[in-house]
Amino acid sequence: MRILRRDFVRDGPGSAKLMAEDSDDLWFTYNLIAPGDSVMAVTSRKVLRERGNSKLSERLTLKLEVQVEEVNYDKDGGVLRILGTNILENEHVPLGAYHSLELVLKRRFLLRKKIWDSLAIDTLNQAKHHNSSSDLAVVLMQEGHAQIFLVGKSVGAPIETSIPNRKHAGYEAALKKFFENVVRAFVKHVDFNVVRCVVIASPGFTKDQFHRHLLLEAERRQLKPITENKSRILLVHANSGYRHSLGEVLSDPKVMKMIQDTKASKEVNALRDFFTMFEKDPYRACYGPKQVEFAHEQKAIQTLLITDELFKNSDVKERKKYVDFVESVKKLGGEAFIFSSMHVSGEQLAMHTGIAALLRFPLPGLDDVEM
Amino acid sequence: MPRKGLSNFDDYDDGFDDDYDYDVDVEDDEHEADEPEEELVIAKRGLWRCAICTYDNDESMHVCDICGVIRHPVPGGNKTISNSAAPFKFDAPSPDDLVSNGLKSSRTGPKDSMKNKEKQDSAEHNQTSSQGRHDNVGVGGIQSFKSLPKAKADKSKETSSSSKNMEVSESLTSTMNNMSLTGETETSRDVKIRSAKSKSNHKPEEWMMLDKESDALSQLNLAIVGHVDSGKSTLSGRLLHLLGRISQKQMHKFEKEAKSQGKGSFAYAWALDESAEERERGITMTVAVAYFNSKRHHVVLLDSPGHKDFVPNMIAGATQADAAILVIDASIGAFEAGFDNLKGQTREHARVLRGFGVEQVIVAVNKMDIVGYSKERFELIKQHVGSFLHSCRFKESSLTWIPLSAMENQNLVSAPSESRLSSWYQGPCLLDAVDSVKSPDRDISKPLLMPICDVVRSSSGQVSACGKLEAGAVRSGSKVMVMPSGDQGTVKSLERDSQGCSIARAGDNVAIALQGIDANQVMAGGVLCHPDYPVSVATRLELMVLVLEGATPILLGSQLEFHVHHAKEAATVVKLVAMLDPKTGEATKKSPRCLTAKQSAMLEVSLQYPVCVETFSESRALGRVFLRSSGRTVAMGKVTRIIQDS
Repeated sequence: MRILRRDFVRDGPGSAKLMAEDSDDLWFTYNLIAPGDSVMAVTSRKVLRERGNSKLSERLTLKLEVQVEEVNYDKDGGVLRILGTNILENEHVPLGAYHSLELVLKRRFLLRKKIWDSLAIDTLNQAKHHNSSSDLAVVLMQEGHAQIFLVGKSVGAPIETSIPNRKHAGYEAALKKFFENVVRAFVKHVDFNVVRCVVIASPGFTKDQFHRHLLLEAERRQLKPITENKSRILLVHANSGYRHSLGEVLSDPKVMKMIQDTKASKEVNALRDFFTMFEKDPYRACYGPKQVEFAHEQKAIQTLLITDELFKNSDVKERKKYVDFVESVKKLGGEAFIFSSMHVSGEQLAMHTGIAALLRFPLPGLDDVEM
Repeated sequence: MPRKGLSNFDDYDDGFDDDYDYDVDVEDDEHEADEPEEELVIAKRGLWRCAICTYDNDESMHVCDICGVIRHPVPGGNKTISNSAAPFKFDAPSPDDLVSNGLKSSRTGPKDSMKNKEKQDSAEHNQTSSQGRHDNVGVGGIQSFKSLPKAKADKSKETSSSSKNMEVSESLTSTMNNMSLTGETETSRDVKIRSAKSKSNHKPEEWMMLDKESDALSQLNLAIVGHVDSGKSTLSGRLLHLLGRISQKQMHKFEKEAKSQGKGSFAYAWALDESAEERERGITMTVAVAYFNSKRHHVVLLDSPGHKDFVPNMIAGATQADAAILVIDASIGAFEAGFDNLKGQTREHARVLRGFGVEQVIVAVNKMDIVGYSKERFELIKQHVGSFLHSCRFKESSLTWIPLSAMENQNLVSAPSESRLSSWYQGPCLLDAVDSVKSPDRDISKPLLMPICDVVRSSSGQVSACGKLEAGAVRSGSKVMVMPSGDQGTVKSLERDSQGCSIARAGDNVAIALQGIDANQVMAGGVLCHPDYPVSVATRLELMVLVLEGATPILLGSQLEFHVHHAKEAATVVKLVAMLDPKTGEATKKSPRCLTAKQSAMLEVSLQYPVCVETFSESRALGRVFLRSSGRTVAMGKVTRIIQDS
């Protein structure tokens, strides 16, 4: 994220001029903007103009400032839509008129907030310093089932093809059809200009077979982007072709190297550490709001893992509660990871209640705290 | 010092054996015993149950009180019966009305018995059991009445006495009221209603019963499992060749081809590993099915993959197994690698076998030639593996230990010729050990259930479903239903071991050619069943499992791979119900925060897509489940409750 200008006070009002550079930045922005804030940006609007007797409607490009009522993030389109009322005086749009602002990559905007709390500032800093995660695409597959991910988040629908037992006739044909479907999705979603490297992962040898097929098809159909970028394709072992194996694929050292210092890799590592702790010393790990709260009361939290879904509450009080919680954990010397629910790790954490913690010391009392 | 893993397998083992303590449900072998008992009970009380509405009428009544059906129908029409007792008194509450009271299922009862009995009737005649077909039902009710008194109240022991027939009807009603009677397609609704009916209403027909004289050999499904490269496929290939199932010419062909690819030693394995991929890599990837006969059995050999990534395929194969051969590579280093807790498959395979309730295992210690047929090596392996199998609750008496060499053909079908082996080993050869395996009892009298292992589509558009029948029987012309889609079709032909056969019974491994069915509706992981007794389809299940040694903790929200018969799905743990005491089965802790290795527990899972399952008490084959994660089997158990029907 490019921070073009900062003009705010910690825990006070202010503004920041920003520009999102990659999809992670859009996500950060989604977390930054809350109802009550205002956003100013260049936008287009259909305007009715009266000229004598005829009424013309034109699409004008103008700068508007919108008092935010609702924020929506369209993952697939890569667009952040901000709905609110216009608060900037101008000749075309009356004050109070509803308008929907669209924020996309490379579009500057000004964000005004009444309170820039620690979380918002943190988010901003993270957005500034992170490496783009969308450098990596993963094709996770098993025989008959595949899905493409742009690190962490899935793109497009999963590819399902029924494949009979390999011993029977029709296996080869069905497999070929399956691979063709995957190639189609691959060509559609993997842009080698954006993506630094592609990982093909599967249990068994499906990945090798697909890789072979992909390269042959690329040769045959003259798919230049693929043939030219052969070297950027990595083959990695996965335990299954199901979504939940993505975390394991990302943990593979070869892949880790590729996504070092990206938000996604941090999340993958943090979650993996949590599971490892649960295995090695179960009383030094807990999850679920009640258990984590209990641990916090005992001043035991070393690392807090929390999904941003919990902050996406329109209820200001709820959000404040979690912000305060994160702050107090940090005050006691702990660390907090806010997982993006856009990435698979965030989704995984959300399945495990959305909040978890690694503790400084074992707390056998956890057994008595209800989940 | 508590014995490692032992106590935790106690309940687990009991849960899967006949002497299961805390399982309230009825065991299979009690099924037959109950039926005659209840018949007697009914007779004693002087009551007879009406064919149509299952109402218990007094002995003195010739006609059912509720629906007016004659007790002892005269086949071939009712000419003799004049006005007094017509098959359908239309002034009595019509069967249509009885539907809403949930008695419809009983009305359809006679219909399916009739279907079974009268094959001559065109299939269409009985096809849709729509409510309006009074005539059909009337006739059906009359003609097949005799079969019905055997109806047992309910599978569960709650309604034990059959005198409480109204209770039965009520329980049926309540079960059905819980189901959505939103009246979608007639057939599907019927199907759902029927499933509430107890399976004991099903009467097996004469043709289903095994004709003892014609076939002296019993069916035995034998799985070959073991760590990768232990020699399973080679052993299988050798065996088939020695027993004449592979001609000399074919064998030459394999040898020549294998040598030309630089894989001469795999010549025998190529008899089983047919695909190019498998031959190129020198491994088995999916289960290969082969047939041979021993003195006492028709053996179906299920050669499974040993590679870690293909354990899901091995599970699909082992689900069919009655007994197994666990192959171990005796060579130095190889045994140790295979037996390793984390990286080897020997243990995982053995545990999966136990999870499937397989009790009889022949441990084949292969590649003895490499270790010079050393007795010490054999004994060492026997000791280690033996104690492990014992900890998995395999009984010592059900295990057989056979040292052999597939490559040198020692001790396979005859006593070893190699003196280094025969000097200290006088036990049976592999074939003899296979012969001494006992074939289990088959549920022939239960309604048809065949989990579909494989679907073959011929170029002519013919669809065949392959698998092993777990219950019931089929023959050409039988009507079957394919689940989960619910499509119905007819059996065109049966094939067993590449030969046509007329009847297939529980325990047989066959390919069933289907007609009248949409090929896209038949898939591996589905189930072929009797149209009147559809198997349950669900996405949310309650399971009782044992978490295996070395498993990572299972948390709320953990995502795992769920395996049941030939089906597999992504599953999420939605509830950790309780941890159970391994001995008593009582809950020791409700809503635990996690499940760790060697614990018994009850949990709820939600599957991504629906699967065909049954509770373990209904069907063992369709009620055994396996949970895997991160490339390992983390838990195995059974379905205790189907929470949500989809």
